[in-house]
Amino acid sequence: MLDNQQIFEAWLAGKITAAECEQQLRSDSQWYGRFLAASSIQQDARAPMFDAVPQIDTSQMFRQQWGHKTTKTAWWPRLSVGMSAMALIISISPLQLQLQDGALALSWKQYDSAQQQQQLQTMLASFQQEQQQYLQQQLQNQQQQQATQLVMLKDYLSENEQKARRGDMLELVEYLNQQRQADWQYWQDNAQPSQARLDYSSSSYLPNRTINGVNKP
Amino acid sequence: MFKRSDESLINKALNGDERAWQQLISRYQSVLYYYGLRLMGNPDDARDLLQDVCMVLCRNLAQFRGDSSFKTWLFGIANYRAMDMLRKRKPSQDLDDIPELYNEDEQSHEQQLYGSQTQKLVQQQLRTLAPEQRLVVELRFYQQFTFDEIAEQLALSSNTVKSRFYAALDKLRVQLEVTDVGQSANF
Repeated sequence: MLDNQQIFEAWLAGKITAAECEQQLRSDSQWYGRFLAASSIQQDARAPMFDAVPQIDTSQMFRQQWGHKTTKTAWWPRLSVGMSAMALIISISPLQLQLQDGALALSWKQYDSAQQQQQLQTMLASFQQEQQQYLQQQLQNQQQQQATQLVMLKDYLSENEQKARRGDMLELVEYLNQQRQADWQYWQDNAQPSQARLDYSSSSYLPNRTINGVNKP
Repeated sequence: MFKRSDESLINKALNGDERAWQQLISRYQSVLYYYGLRLMGNPDDARDLLQDVCMVLCRNLAQFRGDSSFKTWLFGIANYRAMDMLRKRKPSQDLDDIPELYNEDEQSHEQQLYGSQTQKLVQQQLRTLAPEQRLVVELRFYQQFTFDEIAEQLALSSNTVKSRFYAALDKLRVQLEVTDVGQSANF
């Protein structure tokens, strides 16, 4: 909760409006009176003044006090800036500063059209040559890159083929083994008993054979 | 348009740039003159005060350190010179002897438009205040300084400044009530 002084000072600082301040201070005659007095002064302070302002010779004061400093301005920074500007102009413009036979000459370099054309041709030819060299270089690089890629592709393919062939061989060997195993099984299951029976039946015609097929000594 | 800061103008002036000095003075010349006019109550004293402040400012320009704003520092000088002039004034000089601040014959149409009557009344009431109270009111309302800035300028505590300010307002309040009663009686 703000007291009346705080409300009044808040209005002075522009934190609340005059209407808000007036409303809150109305119950206190002292603070309300102060607010009214302050309002009338504030209104007066906002009004512009039109009285002519007298002219005072402040230049004289200044020269007496600080005028001597103007002569102390260093000359070399200006000279430095001037020289830099001149160098810039010479480098940009066709001006030429030449040292010939011990003499420094500043000349305005003029080009005739034929000379300009010739220079242009030379520059274009040089540019063309550069471009050609660049293109040739690019072509060589591309070819080299292509050859390397082909070799790599061939290696890859042959390696893959070898792998595939080895796999096929392994499969074949496995298949053959399986066949052999099946044949062997078949032989054991069917052919061997038949053979045994065949051997037994044929032994009765042999005089030196016993019933169980053992040859008699 | 690009406006140079006060500090930049001071630095240039300290290096002998007269144009910077003139620019700095022209920025505050009218503010200082109207301040003097309200405090001193007449154009001659206001002109003397302006000249005096400009001279002191010129002499002490190098002493500005930038701890506070230039305006605060400048009014520190102006307040000191104004109080000095007010103290030197003849004690017998009656308020009635002081010429009118707003001469009706010299008033322009603009002045009349802005309610010169009210301005005149307020100015008359302000001139009845003690110089110390008038100064605080001037700095708070017309120059828009905060209480702390005024305290810094006058080398006083903020509470002392406030007590002077409220004492001035109480005096003006009484005068306003008297004026209102007087105006009502005329009707």
